[in-house]
Formats: sequence, C-alpha cells, structure tokens
Amino acid sequence: MAIIHPIQAVAVIGNDSVIFTVIKNVILGFKKNSDDSGYRLIGRWADQFDRSNSLKEKVSKEQDRQINENAKKQKDNEGNAVPKKKTEAKVPVPGPGAPPVYSCIRNLIVSKNGKKLFSCADSDKSVLIFDIDSTNENNCLKLVKRQPFPKRPNAITISDDEKTIIMADKFGDVYSIPTDGEPLQNINDELDPILGHVSMLTDVLFKKDSNGKGYILSADRDEHIKVSHFPQSFIVDKWLFGHSQFVSSICAPEWKSNYLFSAGGDDYVYLWDWESGKKLSQFKYSELIMPHLNDQHLAPSRFQNEANDVIEYAVSDIIAFNTIPYIAFFVEATKILFIVKVDTENNTFGKCFQLELPYNVISISDSGDEEIILTLDNRDSNNKEFVKLIDYNNQGNCFKINDIVSTKLNDCIASLENDTDITTEKDKIFPIYSTTTLRKHGEHYS
Amino acid sequence: MKAASGTNMDPNSKRYIYRVNKEENRKEMKHVKIDESTVIVNDNKTKKNKKNKVDLPKKKYYRQRAHSNPFSDHQLEYPLCPDDMDWGKLYPAFRDETTGQMTKEVTIADIGCGFGGLMIDLSPAFPEQLILGMEIRVQVTNYVEDRIIALRSNYAKEQTYQNINVLRGNAMKFLPNFFHKSQLSKMFFCFPDPHFKQRKHKARIVTNTLLSEYAYVLKEGGIIYTITDVEDLHDWMVKHLTEHPLFERLNKEWEAQDECVRIMTNATEEGKKVSRKQGSKFIACFRRLPDPEII
Repeated sequence: MAIIHPIQAVAVIGNDSVIFTVIKNVILGFKKNSDDSGYRLIGRWADQFDRSNSLKEKVSKEQDRQINENAKKQKDNEGNAVPKKKTEAKVPVPGPGAPPVYSCIRNLIVSKNGKKLFSCADSDKSVLIFDIDSTNENNCLKLVKRQPFPKRPNAITISDDEKTIIMADKFGDVYSIPTDGEPLQNINDELDPILGHVSMLTDVLFKKDSNGKGYILSADRDEHIKVSHFPQSFIVDKWLFGHSQFVSSICAPEWKSNYLFSAGGDDYVYLWDWESGKKLSQFKYSELIMPHLNDQHLAPSRFQNEANDVIEYAVSDIIAFNTIPYIAFFVEATKILFIVKVDTENNTFGKCFQLELPYNVISISDSGDEEIILTLDNRDSNNKEFVKLIDYNNQGNCFKINDIVSTKLNDCIASLENDTDITTEKDKIFPIYSTTTLRKHGEHYS
Repeated sequence: MKAASGTNMDPNSKRYIYRVNKEENRKEMKHVKIDESTVIVNDNKTKKNKKNKVDLPKKKYYRQRAHSNPFSDHQLEYPLCPDDMDWGKLYPAFRDETTGQMTKEVTIADIGCGFGGLMIDLSPAFPEQLILGMEIRVQVTNYVEDRIIALRSNYAKEQTYQNINVLRGNAMKFLPNFFHKSQLSKMFFCFPDPHFKQRKHKARIVTNTLLSEYAYVLKEGGIIYTITDVEDLHDWMVKHLTEHPLFERLNKEWEAQDECVRIMTNATEEGKKVSRKQGSKFIACFRRLPDPEII
C-alpha cells in the first residue's frame, strides 16, 4: 500500500499560520483556517526538472572534448589531422542493481516578511526562489528564479536585507547571488565562489556583529567552523576550533547576538561566542542518548569490529527557540528530542528536557515564538503522525506536544494520500538518514 | 607495520627491510634533541666507529605514486587548534628545557615540500627562524624525516639543521589548525602538482578561496613564493594571486635581489630536474597587503 512519504523539511510563517513542507521533490503549503478549525492546502510546487536533458548535454559536451583531443593525436600519413565523425551521444543508462538517484528538495527558508521562500533542488543542483502570495488560494507559490550551480547546494542562508542568498555546496565552495533578477546561464564562467573550504560544507549562516558588520559562518565535514567577513569574504576573521568530528549543523539565536551553537559527530553540543572566537560551554548528550540507540546506529560493516559493537551516532540538526533561551536538537534515527535551557548570564547550559516521540525525528524547525515543529518517520503510523508541534508551557515551565494543532495539520496532510507525487512504498524512501555518513574513517592511507 | 611496508609488499625485499629499519630509527630519533651527546651514545650502542657519518637516506627506497588526492580522508594527525600543537617535538633544540616553552615559532612554511631540498638550503640562510615543510605523501615525508635525522646527527657539533622539520599533512584542509593568524612571514609553493584537467583545477594549491586562508596565516608584508615549470600553472597562479585583494605582485628587480628566490630556483629536487632537462622555470612572488577597512 502506498503511504505518504515522511516530511523532510519544514518552514513556517508567523505562529504556525502558514506551514511549508517538503515531501520528496514537492513543496506543499498549508494555511490555518481563520476559524482555527484546521489547515488547508494553499500551495504546491513539484520539481519537474528532467535530468535526462542536462545529462545528454553533459555527455555530448564531453564527447566534443574527446573528439577534439583525439583530433590532435590522430594524423594521416601526410601529418594532417583526421577528423572524426560525430555520432549521437549515448546517454548512459544505469544498469540493474545501480543505486537509485534521488532528486529531493532540501533547505527551506522563509523570508522575515513572509513574502519569499528559498530552497534547493538536487535535480539540477539549483537554488530556488519563490514568491509567496498567501491570498492566492489556488497556489500561493510562484517560482521566480532558478539558479543552477556547478555542484550540489547543501545549505543556504539569506543576508539580513534579504537581497542576497548565500549558498554552500557539497564541494566546499560558497557562492552569493541576488534574490531577484535573471539567473546566470553559464555559472562556471560568470561566477566565482566568494569563499571556500576543502571539505564538504554542511551549514552556513549570515550574521551581523555588534558594530553592524556582516559575517558568513560556514561549517564543514572537517571539524571546522570558519568566520569570514561579508561582503569582504576574502578576509577570514577566525576559525572556531573545538570539534573533533564533523559539524552537521550550526544555529544562532535571536536572543543573544554573539551566540552560536554547533553540533555534529561529537559527543557534545557546543556554545560559542562567535564574535570573540571563544568556546563558552559544552553540553554532553552522549550518555543521555545511549539508551535510545538501536541497530541503526551500528557502524557500517567495513568499519565494524569483530564484536560488532562499534556504534556511530550524530546530531542531525540543532535549532534555537525564537524568543526563549532554549535550544533543541536530536540525534539521527532516534525518537528523542532534547531541549536545553541556556543561561545567558553565565554562558552555560542549564536544565535539559527529553521528549520521547512516537517515531524517529526527521527534521526540526521553529514554528512560532515559543514553539517548534518536528517531522517524524511516519511510515508505520498508517498515514498519521507526520508532524508534532511542541510548545513551551509557561506555567509548568516545561515543554509539551501540542496535540490539538498537530492533529489538525496531520489530518490535512493525510487528506492528500491520493497525490502520487508524495506517496511511496514503505521500503522506498528518500535518504532521510544521511548525517552519520559524514563521519570520516581515514580510509585512505597514502 | 602497514606504514613501513605498504599493503602488499614482499617482506623479504630489500626495500621492505630498509623501510622497517629506517622506521625503527625514525621512531627513536624523530623527537629527540640531537647533539653531540646523543650521537656518541648512539654510536656506542651500535658499536660503530665514532667518525662514521650517518648515511643519508636513499630515495629509491621511498618511492610511491606521485600524486595524492587532497580531497580524500587520509589518516592524518593534526592538532585541534594551533595552541594544541607540540612544536617541541619537531624542534627540540628550540625548546627551553626549564620552562618547556618554545623559544621561537614557525615563520616559514614550505607547502608541498617534496623531498625537502628547499628547507635544507634555507636552514643555514635563516638559522634564527623555524622552517616547516608540509607534505601529503607518506613515503616522501618519511624520507625527509630520515634526511633531517641524518643531517642533525652528522652536524651535531655545529648544531645546524635544528630549525627545519617536516609534517605529513594536508595543507589545503588543515593549515589553520597549525598556524595562528599572521604567524608566517614566508610561504613557498615550489613545483606544485599542475592538475592539468579543467575539472581538477580545484585541487590546485592556489585557488581564490584558498588564498584567503593563506592570507590569514601570513602576516602583513609576508611573502608568497611560487615557482613552476608549467607555464599554464604559472599563469593560473599569477592570475589568482593578482586578482586577490590581499596580495600584490613583486617585480623582477625585487626577485633579482631576494635570497629566497635564488635558493628556490636552484635548491629543490624538482628545480634541479628541470635544470637538467633545460626546462624553463617560472617565478612569481607576492606580498601580503594589509587588510582593507572593513565595510
């Protein structure tokens, strides 16, 4: 039986009034009914980019190059170059057993005024920019710019004036493009990266310091968090040293402008003063998560030992609440959400709350002032339990799942079960557990 | 033993036996301060004649494929941050024995030092500066280590060659793990891998994004030296360095009077090879400009 695929990412406007979600390669927008009776679908955009065309273009370009190269080598008896006949370029077809190619949508960001939505498509390695017209109930999403890049975008952020979008790719380069205007046709010739790492980039943020100067913070698979000036991105300000494993996620809270939180393959979540470059505090979660690990956390067989007890786990994502000094994070392929209080007077971590969810957490985003939204690996829930909203309870000084709103949204998503673009077989899902694969094993000796 | 042998090497081969012997010697001598006392003690141990010089390592036993992929996950050792680096292990003669602190810090870096020829010639020219070579290929690094151990032993009385050493590492990835901001005064890029193919250009050691990191570790007025026998690569390096806002090219007159340019042109193994084949050598040097005002 087909089920609706788990939601990979979420972005929210206002206090959970409009919620955008990514399912496979489709972006869906949901709006809260004014009488609060539930949610309705107001936007849908499916990535219909056909990879075969760009593949064919690429293959034919490579063919031309090879013909040119061989033309120099092959000569007849008089020493004249032998021209080679150009044949129709053959597009390679993956053989049986080849791993499937997934073209998902990743990284969903809404502009502060709620008028624009930013995202990335794997299919043509592009950054997508949408106008949001929430009065258009037929489809509030209008694609206004699609900029392909040479390498796959892995993280995006927007400058504070929202005129520039900054993209970090899987090859380690960071590019900036304007959010409006026409896309560049030949990006390789027309645009240079503004900064780069020699490592896969996992996250990127734009920040302003107390003097109003701009910075880009970029995190990579080699334990590095680099702070560069912006727009003078050729000046590296500093590195934040302390991670001993890959960094998967960084976040900066609204309530303390010099704070930066980071997490990844380490046993700790770190708190930095990114302006001074100091590590302020660290929070050890590894012992807390131990009881919740399972077979999915065993290391891959080629890095496994004879006793088969090497475990590998990593924080997938870390976010800060909007208005209260708390951060939330989860470890990949677990059902546990950690919410940790931050003492902004003493720059330390405080009380830790653990919430157990019915299924594994897939993504986490803020959805209101004191509220966050989680998406779950709902495959065993019979088309329920896609999302859970979590509220801060002021009286009890604790965090609770908001079952009423969660159910309303889940019902609305479940009603789309006949949309074949977002349904799947239970065992055929997009790669939603890929953070731990970032771990380095030092395979190459020489 | 994988380190000495490579993966599938005949354990009876001359090269294998040589490598194992050298590795033992290296482990013992790598981090010790070599002066007259250590050399004599060693000589007594091995019952060698005191006058015997330590043999310099032979290159033929250190062959390995010429290229290493700078993007792969190698088994590398590098400090978590520059403060964690134990420089005393590399330059024991410059560690204050009472405080344990270093009396000097590294100011000259040879990125991709190869077989170490440049460092060995720079050492007497800059006796008061610490010089570090970085090399990604394991066997080549081993060779340079053995070469420095041999030189330090042979010149134990003069105490020369104490200011140079080599690290196996990936400078493209981990340079900032070793050096503080503005620590270096000179960086050398001698006969780097040309990476001819267009799509390999990012693997080149000079790119506009990496130059920002070199500018970070170089102090104001610090010099980047480049030399290559591949004109395409020379043009590429000049283009990127010229375009970078933090570097300006130094003219031919400056090059003519600079001691390092002279050494760099003649000292390195690659440089000698190019001379033997009567190839061209293309030189370009750039000065690190002050940071502009932050906008």
